[in-house]
Amino acid sequence: MIKRSFFALSRPRLTYDLLEPDPLEPQTIPVPDLITLFLTESIDSKRPALIKKGDPVEKGQKLVLYEDSTAYAVSPVAGTIKMIDSYSDDFGAIATCIIIAHDPVRTSQAQSMEMSEDISFAAAHLLKLPGAPPFDILADENVNITTIVITGADTDLLTTTSQYVTTSHIRDLEQGAKILKQITNVSRICITLPESLNGNAPTASLQVLQTGTVYPDTLPAMIMKDHLDQILPAGKTPEEMGVCFIRAEAVVSLARAFAAKAYIFEKHVTLVDKNASRHRIKAVIGTPLSNIFSQLDIQVNDQDRIIIGGPMRGYATFTVHHPVTPDMDTVVVQDQRIIPKISDTPCVNCGKCVQICPADIQVNLLVRFLETNQYEEATDKYDLDACIECGLCTYVCTSQIALGQYIRLGKHELRKLRADV
Amino acid sequence: MNNTKLTVSHAPFWHDGDNLFKKNLNFMLALLPAAIFGILQFGAPALGVMALSLSCAMLWELVINLVSKKPATIGDLEAAVIGLLFGMMLPAITPWWLIVVGTFVAVFVGKMIFGGIGSSPFNPTLLGMAVLMMSWKMFFDFDTAYVDYEFAFTALAPLAAVKTQGAAAADLFTLGDLFMGREVGAVGATFGLGLIIGGIYLILRGYARWELSVSFIAGILITAFLFHAASPQNYAGPLFHLLSGYTLLGAFFLITESASSPVNRIPMLLYGFLGGVVIILMRNIGAYADGTILAILLVNVVSPLLDNIRPNALGRGMNNA
Repeated sequence: MIKRSFFALSRPRLTYDLLEPDPLEPQTIPVPDLITLFLTESIDSKRPALIKKGDPVEKGQKLVLYEDSTAYAVSPVAGTIKMIDSYSDDFGAIATCIIIAHDPVRTSQAQSMEMSEDISFAAAHLLKLPGAPPFDILADENVNITTIVITGADTDLLTTTSQYVTTSHIRDLEQGAKILKQITNVSRICITLPESLNGNAPTASLQVLQTGTVYPDTLPAMIMKDHLDQILPAGKTPEEMGVCFIRAEAVVSLARAFAAKAYIFEKHVTLVDKNASRHRIKAVIGTPLSNIFSQLDIQVNDQDRIIIGGPMRGYATFTVHHPVTPDMDTVVVQDQRIIPKISDTPCVNCGKCVQICPADIQVNLLVRFLETNQYEEATDKYDLDACIECGLCTYVCTSQIALGQYIRLGKHELRKLRADV
Repeated sequence: MNNTKLTVSHAPFWHDGDNLFKKNLNFMLALLPAAIFGILQFGAPALGVMALSLSCAMLWELVINLVSKKPATIGDLEAAVIGLLFGMMLPAITPWWLIVVGTFVAVFVGKMIFGGIGSSPFNPTLLGMAVLMMSWKMFFDFDTAYVDYEFAFTALAPLAAVKTQGAAAADLFTLGDLFMGREVGAVGATFGLGLIIGGIYLILRGYARWELSVSFIAGILITAFLFHAASPQNYAGPLFHLLSGYTLLGAFFLITESASSPVNRIPMLLYGFLGGVVIILMRNIGAYADGTILAILLVNVVSPLLDNIRPNALGRGMNNA
């Protein structure tokens, strides 16, 4: 954890971790006995389910709950379904988790797939590729995407997954970008890369956007502002403004899936242990984190924190059995002793949050409205919806207020309020 | 590892490690040079005043916490800073009951009734001081306060002397004397060098904003210079004003109090400058010898208004928004 420097005349600068010059190959985690998959649809016991406990599944089989479901998961192993259960995320959204018992004896060949260069095919089959390509958004006819930005620079601190995948699979990346161009018909495809990796930049077809090393330069809103000359209007998503962000790993997976005519399941993850040393691993999607921890000899104790997705923008999971998901770039294990305290001390108006906010929000005033649940006022007068959720205000807060939590809750409640109207 | 109970919370998961305790501790540390000098200059009574003031302020806060059945908040040291500053602004022979009453006003009326830390619209220390100054004016006459003392320098309160005798009285004090604390005044406000060192320390550590201090000093120097230039026989020079009275204490420790000051750069610059201007206006035209207390309280009022001068948030104020 980066601490405040002794002299703090100007605002603190958090810098991204850059890929080491000769990165090691990732360590491969063996396929575990049990695989957990998430499905973004809740269980409805009244309807006849297409899958049930005890069903055999093939490697590469698409798993769908009901006849008319759009959400799906893809099994990375051959085996049998051991359990289907409900799962709820931080904001109480209900999803389904499917646990599959891996049968190593059965064929390890993935089902061969007839790849079609068509966006609806991609949305219907390739959403669960490692890197979680947003084909559902690209396939949506109501969304008009004019620019695709491949994120070769990581968006959170500590992690180097995107940088590693970009530089080590440069041919696949170029091939994937070509396929992406073909299936989406989007002419402008860019890639973000830290300056230091410029030598490894893909040639020709891709426009390279050189990103700075200071957080939050690589967040979507900042990329749009600094490189695409497009200010993201408050409350809008980049996709609504015609810009779609896609992980470099998703593009690489796309190329490899097309080349192999089969599904790809191995996800690259940067794992940062309690001693802050970095492990680069490759694990099959659905591998419980507990397997990875025991493989790497990382001891997780009560009250430690497992952060998925980086220290500034990630989320904390409540279970060590949380599986590797297609969008999981980073896992950070934080020892309970270094978990920063949060407090309910009121804001003292020191102004450090205002000084550091990349979106120029008056956080000191905003938090006063959020604390009293006045979400409409917070949005109309104090720009709740302009927040890009970089987390810097919370990082510097002298009063140790959980500003990030207030802001996310505020946005969530606001969406509910506006949906009710 | 099967049933490990993990800590869950929302992002971000890092913190720079700063907190209110550290902030206030640094404030007290920065005040120490001037406070220690005050003890050396004015003896044990000065120590008594500051110690009583500091402990009274903390006790009052604790009592209010207990009465209002709220968790004790004195651990953040905010009350300690209020008490220490309060003690440093008093003459060394202040009677104990005045300190008890004054810290009560500062902590209770200045801070706690508005909801405690961070909510006070006025600088709590100054609110307490203002009430004392209005109610028991005789105890703030630094000339009579030190009649029992023998000093090796002019035992006249510089600002009062200038007020009553005109600008010529300023010549009784060399700037070097004022800078090195060879003057009578409040126990912690005379040692200019110590206050400046403490103030620069706070600014470098990021606990006080330079915008406030610099613009405040600029406001004082410019306004005092204009007065002095217009009528040198009536008004003392800018450096005399900067080094006398509560000015330096105000510039580094009072105007920078975060709850009652703005947070954006331009508002901070305006706010500090305005504070400096009002102080000199009060000294040169008003009835009080030292206007620091009332001037800063006055600009506290305009702080929220000034903070309306702010940049548009990202993605605001655009046609397609």
